[in-house]
Amino acid sequence: MAIRKDANILTAAERAEFVAAIQALKAEGIYDQFVLRHANASMGDIHRCSAFLPWHRRFIFDLELELQRVSGNPNLGIPYWNWPSGGANVSMWNDDLLGGNGDAGGVVRTGPFRSGQWTVINSSGLPAGPLMREFGQNGLPTLPTQAEINQVMAVTPYDVSPWNMNSNPSFRNQLEGWIGPNLHNRGHVWVGGSMLPMTSPNDPVFFMNHCMVDKIWHEWQLRFPNQSYLPANGGPFGQNLTDPMGSTPSGQIGARPIDVLDSAALGIVYDGAAPPPPPQPLLIVVGANPTQADIATPGETDVFRFDIPAFGPHTMITSGPSDTFMTLFGPNYPNVEVTSDDDAGENFNSQITRNLSAGTYYLRIRLYSPNTTGNYAVGVRSDGTAPSPISELIVGGASINATISAANESDVYRFNITTENIYTIETSGTTDTFMTLHGPNSQIPEIDRNDDGGVSFNALIRRQLSPGEYFARVRHYSSIGIGSYSIRIIQG
Amino acid sequence: MADYEESFEGCTIEIIGDVDLSINGKEIDYQHDEGKNKFSSRYLPYTQYDSLLELARAIAKHTVEFSHVKD
Repeated sequence: MAIRKDANILTAAERAEFVAAIQALKAEGIYDQFVLRHANASMGDIHRCSAFLPWHRRFIFDLELELQRVSGNPNLGIPYWNWPSGGANVSMWNDDLLGGNGDAGGVVRTGPFRSGQWTVINSSGLPAGPLMREFGQNGLPTLPTQAEINQVMAVTPYDVSPWNMNSNPSFRNQLEGWIGPNLHNRGHVWVGGSMLPMTSPNDPVFFMNHCMVDKIWHEWQLRFPNQSYLPANGGPFGQNLTDPMGSTPSGQIGARPIDVLDSAALGIVYDGAAPPPPPQPLLIVVGANPTQADIATPGETDVFRFDIPAFGPHTMITSGPSDTFMTLFGPNYPNVEVTSDDDAGENFNSQITRNLSAGTYYLRIRLYSPNTTGNYAVGVRSDGTAPSPISELIVGGASINATISAANESDVYRFNITTENIYTIETSGTTDTFMTLHGPNSQIPEIDRNDDGGVSFNALIRRQLSPGEYFARVRHYSSIGIGSYSIRIIQG
Repeated sequence: MADYEESFEGCTIEIIGDVDLSINGKEIDYQHDEGKNKFSSRYLPYTQYDSLLELARAIAKHTVEFSHVKD
């Protein structure tokens, strides 16, 4: 088990143990092997890509195993650099841990990794001078704040096509730092010097920076257990869930993203790692005046909640001067996406109109461009108390094509029986449907139900029916499942 | 299309035809994000630059392959 602690709260003994272990690995040549593994990796294998997070999780995990070996402490964990409390004057930069900033020329002259005690290597493995640092001197003078971390923590999904530095919305891309407030990249650039090139593991703070990145990913995974690693497939080779990642040797654990998704299973424990409470969504009252809101920080996402008491058509809409992008989640699950929209409303506003079953729904609204700010208003209205007209099935007539497009959604069909006989109501297609039959002459009494009586996972009800009006209700077998199907009724 | 050459931090930066970059005679691969008009290189994986010359100067200054810092 590796216990990873805030670098600024380590005891003197813990600091000494960590420094001694790093120095022992350097003396063995093992530390430089890690520098070369990173320095000579293909750019598209480890940065600006989906595998950025799993690749580095495996990378620091491997170093941690080596630290545990040389220290003899099986619980030794890499400390994390808690950026919001990790500025230039905090204790992690003291002489008993990392040493401090570079001198006027950038050369580190203090601490255990100072000039004369620690030599960096180039990508060929040759000595290349002293460790260099230039705190805040490369265009990014400040470190990420807790508010900025919280902002990134609210972003879903994990990643999206094109799976690179232009992916948006993307938790991975925001955490890596190409969009949004810039977290990981800022750690590198703020330190500067040896932390800027591909040989950045030359500075031991590299591992603390990535330990913080990994901690944030871990907490995001806890907060959004339904948000999986993406791409599962279809992305560039080396980036998909079960692809072997580039520049990753065989080891105690596998080299695929799927092998490192569960931090706890790897024996990693973060102190004080209880995930911060998710931002409380603002409540929207259906039918009330629109709620005023604004995106004050580029890349920010606002979250709203509203309750639907009964099935029916509803419209969710933004108004105002901003180019909004809206995503609908629910019912009752804030991470189960129903649909999204960019410009269906007036000007560049978003609008979603659809039947919603009873439950709590969530709207996430951001601006289409991650680099802009702006205000808008958002509202939800009911488009009528009655649900959409019930589709009619004709005995022996054509099939009706339909789609379960939202979690917990169900479709209702009516049909008339004029002659007592045996009838078969069945669905077809690839969706796992579940059907209940109600009547006669009322939607209330359920007289039959079926899950997989038809072909494959289709529902089928075959029974004697007396004359009257009947209703068939079709839903997905899974409460969160969606998919298309066809339905028909035939005699016999 | 223009050619450019300068000495920076002890390195010779050469840009031929506005596009072909070399430092100390070594050809440097880089990416140009035309949408954002930003330049980046695997040498400096955490940053983008507003011009090819800015990128070249950063590589010359910060990468251990080209920088000339000694103990």
